[in-house]
Amino acid sequence: MAKALDRVLDAVDVETFLLCETRDEGVELGLRLMKELGFDDPDVVFCEQGGPGVRIRLRAYLSRPGSNYPWIGQHQHDVGEAKTGD
Amino acid sequence: MTEKVGGRPVHGDGAVRPRTPEPKKVLMVPLDPVHDVGLKLIRRALSQRGHEVVLLPPDLPPEEVVQKAGEIRPDCLLVSRTISYGTAELLARFLDLLDTAGLRDKMRVAVGGMSIRPELAQEMGFDAGFGPDTTVDDAVAFVEDREFQGTRARRKLSKPDLTEGFSYRFKDEEIGCLCHEVAQELLSWAKERTSPGVLRAEIREEMERARKEGRQEEVSRLRDEYARLTGDEILRFYREGTPVSHTRPLTPPEARAFSDLEKTAGDGDDLTCPASADVMGNRVVFVQYGTGCPLVDSYHIVLSQSWGARGVVHFDPSWGARQEGLLEGTWSHQHDGTVITLDNLQLIKKYILPWTLWQVRAHRGLNTPETVVLAALAGADLTKVNMVYGSLAAGTDPERLCVDGVKCLELAARFGLPYDVVTNEELAGVPAAKAFAGMLVVMTAGVLSGGRPILQPLFARSPEAIINGIMDEDFVDFNAAKMMVLADIVDAPVWPGAPVGFLTQSQDRVQSSTMTALHAALALHLGSRAVTIASSDEAYAGGPITGASRVDSLKSVAAALRFFGQTKITPSPRAASLREKLREDILNTLKSAVAAGSLVDALYAGVFGSREDGAYPGRAGRGTVTKRS
Repeated sequence: MAKALDRVLDAVDVETFLLCETRDEGVELGLRLMKELGFDDPDVVFCEQGGPGVRIRLRAYLSRPGSNYPWIGQHQHDVGEAKTGD
Repeated sequence: MTEKVGGRPVHGDGAVRPRTPEPKKVLMVPLDPVHDVGLKLIRRALSQRGHEVVLLPPDLPPEEVVQKAGEIRPDCLLVSRTISYGTAELLARFLDLLDTAGLRDKMRVAVGGMSIRPELAQEMGFDAGFGPDTTVDDAVAFVEDREFQGTRARRKLSKPDLTEGFSYRFKDEEIGCLCHEVAQELLSWAKERTSPGVLRAEIREEMERARKEGRQEEVSRLRDEYARLTGDEILRFYREGTPVSHTRPLTPPEARAFSDLEKTAGDGDDLTCPASADVMGNRVVFVQYGTGCPLVDSYHIVLSQSWGARGVVHFDPSWGARQEGLLEGTWSHQHDGTVITLDNLQLIKKYILPWTLWQVRAHRGLNTPETVVLAALAGADLTKVNMVYGSLAAGTDPERLCVDGVKCLELAARFGLPYDVVTNEELAGVPAAKAFAGMLVVMTAGVLSGGRPILQPLFARSPEAIINGIMDEDFVDFNAAKMMVLADIVDAPVWPGAPVGFLTQSQDRVQSSTMTALHAALALHLGSRAVTIASSDEAYAGGPITGASRVDSLKSVAAALRFFGQTKITPSPRAASLREKLREDILNTLKSAVAAGSLVDALYAGVFGSREDGAYPGRAGRGTVTKRS
């Protein structure tokens, strides 16, 4: 079966609140978090510091315009597999 | 006059900024085809502070900008970039050109704009990078070589009094007379009665006084006396020390983690507040907390205050309403609601800023008078009382809750605690007019007891509204009609909740936050003294609210308040006819209550909400009321 990640249209966003003392630390923690989750090229969409940490939105693009889209043909392929199982 | 960069207000008179040590020569240029508004705002602030500023037009090739920099030889070069396409390549090339011209080391260079991320700018070799949230002050600080204030804001605020300036005079005399009649009867009736809840409150107050004075023997005696008035799991706790189901004591590492948080919050002077908190200003927006764990609650409270919340509401577990007695000690709870004990409340209190209002609710259940005692002892600012809601939609026997509720009114008056009179029975299906009639009776009893009640209409898409199609067109008119009818009837403060927007929010955080924000803005623009909001997790039932969800809803409210500003929201003419209907139905409900003979009888008889409506007189505590000896 195809990986679920191959069905992501473009990107995965992670939204959370990270405990830290500065915004810079929050950004660093966020990028580390994404790498720990297996995303090699993460980005910070939004990061705002307040009180005990940062509200952060992290993003990992899996397909950018012009790249080879892993999801092409995957949907039909999986449907076909399901039918075989019937 | 104020101006904004990145949504944050900045005063243009320069008075709040420190004096510059010496005037600087500043060259500014948008490396962008058209966008230069941000630079114009900064130019104005710099010029007002005596700096010499040259702003180049947009769309110059980088080579020409570098040539100008060579001619002008500024102390600072500020470039901006709004569009994101090709930004990294352009900026890298620009820095190379500056370097090649021998200028890079001769001036401090910063880049800012919508497409700029500070960390990327610094990686590229700029002296500073300013992202979308940058303020004019930040840019001025860079030019003047001062430390950036960033998002750290010292907001010295005062604690609001939600009841200040209200006379509680009935403008609608017909309704006022009926409310007085029912309320007077209630107070006379309750004076001759007591309950285990009333007795425990009296013991608790005495016990805590003895504890404070170090009279240990007296504490032990009173504790035994208290335990005899408890039941089930609470009794086992007092007799054997057994924790109540799904609770456990806080651990030593958890206790230590509280002190870490204390460094973050302090007395508010060093609390980091984002720009949206400034937009909230003095608008009193309450959030509710009650994850189950006092430590997590405290984190949520601190971050909520950072993002502009001016009030927090303690939510306790629902089982607390059905058990006779409250625990002692510091407890974590694995389900929704944080256990009410004096120790838990005192821990949480440490993280409530001097200007934040703190409400501990006592509106339902078998422990309401004692909750008011604990709220006062812990330093809460507000409580919540309504025996009509508590007995029709929260499971407590009407007779019991009326005795306990009147005790709450007395205690709240003695402790100087204002309280809201909530009308969430609307969520069970009770029509707004019946709920309002009950609220007005309780408010009257509260005023007669010397208290300062606050009316709490429900801003929601209630079952009544859904079934009757009242809100099919919009969510404005019916809520506006509620505010209008209350303003017609009595001069009393109004604080819609709780929270606003009930049954309009979905599990989607964007939709949920938007609904919350619009309801909050509507309430505040229609004259509410305060508003209680949900988090963007309001419609999610799979677990406790997250910190991120709290931030999202607070930011949404700030955005809505910023959007409407001082604009008046005008409901359609339909609101006026809804107001008339509400007034007529409130009047008829009160007439029926008088005819029933007493508030308690009226509650059992369904005057303030019938079984058909969806209101069911509760059973918890039935038969426990006794005549005072």
